[in-house]
Amino acid sequence: MKKRSKLGVLLILLAVCLVFAGCGGKKEKDGGTLEAIKARGKVIAGVKYDTKLFGLKDPATGKIEGFDIDIAKALAKKIFGDESKVELKEVTSKTRIPLLQNGDIDLIIATMTITEERKEQVDFSDVYFKAGQSLLVKKGSPIQGLEDIKKGVKVLTAKGSTSAKNIREKAPDATVLEFENYQDAFTALKAGQGDALTTDNAILLGMQKQDPNYIVVGGNFTDEPYGIAIKKGDSEFVQVVNDLLKEMKESGEYDKLYEQWMGVKPE
Amino acid sequence: MDFAGAYSWPNLSFILQGFGMTLLVAALSILFSFVLGTLLGILRYTRVPLLNPLLAVIIDLIRNLPLLLIIYFIYIVLPQLGLKLPPFGAAIAALTLFEGAMISEIVRGGLTSVDRGQIEAARSSGLGYVQTMRHIILPQALRRMAPPLVSQFISLLKDTSLAIIISLPEIMHNVQILQGHSPNYVIPALIVAALLYFAVNYTLSIIARRLEARKI
Repeated sequence: MKKRSKLGVLLILLAVCLVFAGCGGKKEKDGGTLEAIKARGKVIAGVKYDTKLFGLKDPATGKIEGFDIDIAKALAKKIFGDESKVELKEVTSKTRIPLLQNGDIDLIIATMTITEERKEQVDFSDVYFKAGQSLLVKKGSPIQGLEDIKKGVKVLTAKGSTSAKNIREKAPDATVLEFENYQDAFTALKAGQGDALTTDNAILLGMQKQDPNYIVVGGNFTDEPYGIAIKKGDSEFVQVVNDLLKEMKESGEYDKLYEQWMGVKPE
Repeated sequence: MDFAGAYSWPNLSFILQGFGMTLLVAALSILFSFVLGTLLGILRYTRVPLLNPLLAVIIDLIRNLPLLLIIYFIYIVLPQLGLKLPPFGAAIAALTLFEGAMISEIVRGGLTSVDRGQIEAARSSGLGYVQTMRHIILPQALRRMAPPLVSQFISLLKDTSLAIIISLPEIMHNVQILQGHSPNYVIPALIVAALLYFAVNYTLSIIARRLEARKI
C-alpha cells in the first residue's frame, strides 16, 4: 500500500513533466496579432493599474489613466479610427509575459524595460519612454548633474533601493541618506535635509509636477528604456506599433501626451 | 503617513469594494471546497479499491504544494492546455482545489474518529451501509469536524489575498493601487485592511470556539 502510493506519486510527477515538456514545444503558428485584433474589433492591451503617470486606477471613477493607457488608445485609433476600441487588462511584472504568450493580451504597455533576456521571450517596439535614474533638486541649486555630486553633498533616496546602490557606485563621495519611501525623501528635500533626491526619472517627474519649485536635472545616468512588448516573431505587428510611435512623434501627439503626464517636454 | 488623504471617501470605498471581492471569492470557494472536500473525504473513508490510492496521491500532492503555485498554475499554465479562466474564476478554482484537499482530510479524520464498534452495532441491528453512514456516523463526525472546518475557512479567507499575484481586484490589490497614488497611503490603508480581515475572521473563530464547546 505504502509502496504503491509512492509509485503513484512518481507516475503523476512524470505525467506533469511530460505535459510541461509538451507545452514547451508548442509552436505558436496562428495568424498575426493585427488580424486577431481586426477580427475581434478591439485591441487588448496589458497595462499596469498601480503605477503613477503610466497606468493607475482612480479609486473615485474606476478609470485607468496614464501615459501607457493613452498610447494604447492611440493604437486603437490608428487601427479602428476610434480610441475607445481598446480593452485594458491588468498585468503585473510576473504575469505580463505569460499572458502575452497565451494570447490573452495583444501587447504589453506596462513600464517594461527592454533587456536582452526579455528579447529572447518577446519582441520589443522602439523605445517609447527613456526611463533611468536621475536627480531632483531645488530650482537654482548649484547641482546640475551627477558630476556635481561631490564630497559632502547629501543625496536622499529610499531605503534599500536600487537607486541607493546606484548612487553609491556613481558618486562614491556623496553622503546618501535613506528614507522609508520616496514621498518621505521628497518631504525631507523640501525641509532642506539634503541637496538632491535620486530615483527613477518618472517618479521625479511626478514630484516636479507636484511642486514645480523642484526640477529634474542632468538627464539619466542609468539607462532603462521602456518598450512595448509584442508576441515573439510577429514583426508585422511590431511594425504597426513602431509606425504608430513615429506618427505620434511627427504629429506632436507624443510630445503632447508626454507633457500632459510628465509635466515637461521630452528631451 | 497621510491618514486624512488615505481615508477620503473614494479611497475607503475602494478598499471596501476590494473587501467585497475578497468575501465573494471566499464565500464561493468555501461552498465549493466544502462540497468537494466532503465528497473526497467520504470516498477516502469508504476505501473504494483502486480509486482510494489514486485519490490519496492526488490529495497529498495538492496539500503539499503552495497555494500560490496552484493559483499561478491555473491562471498561467492551464490556458496553454486550452482552459482559460479570468482571474476571478482562476482564484476560485485554485482555492476550491487546494482547500477541498485540506477539507477532505478533515472530513476523513472526522469519520475515522467515530468508533468502529458503532458501525458494527448499527449494521447488526439491521441498518444498511448508507443508512449507517447517514444516521449514525455522519452526525457524530460532522460535530467533531466543525471546529477544524471553521479554522480552515478562516485560512481560506486569508488565503484569497494570494490571488493578488493574478491581479484579482481583492482588498490587498486595491491597497496596492492606493500605494501607487501615494506611498503615504500604505500604512493607513493596511490598517483598514487588517481591521476588516480581523473583524470577519475573529467572528468566525468565536463561532468555532462555541462549536467546540458544544462538542462534548
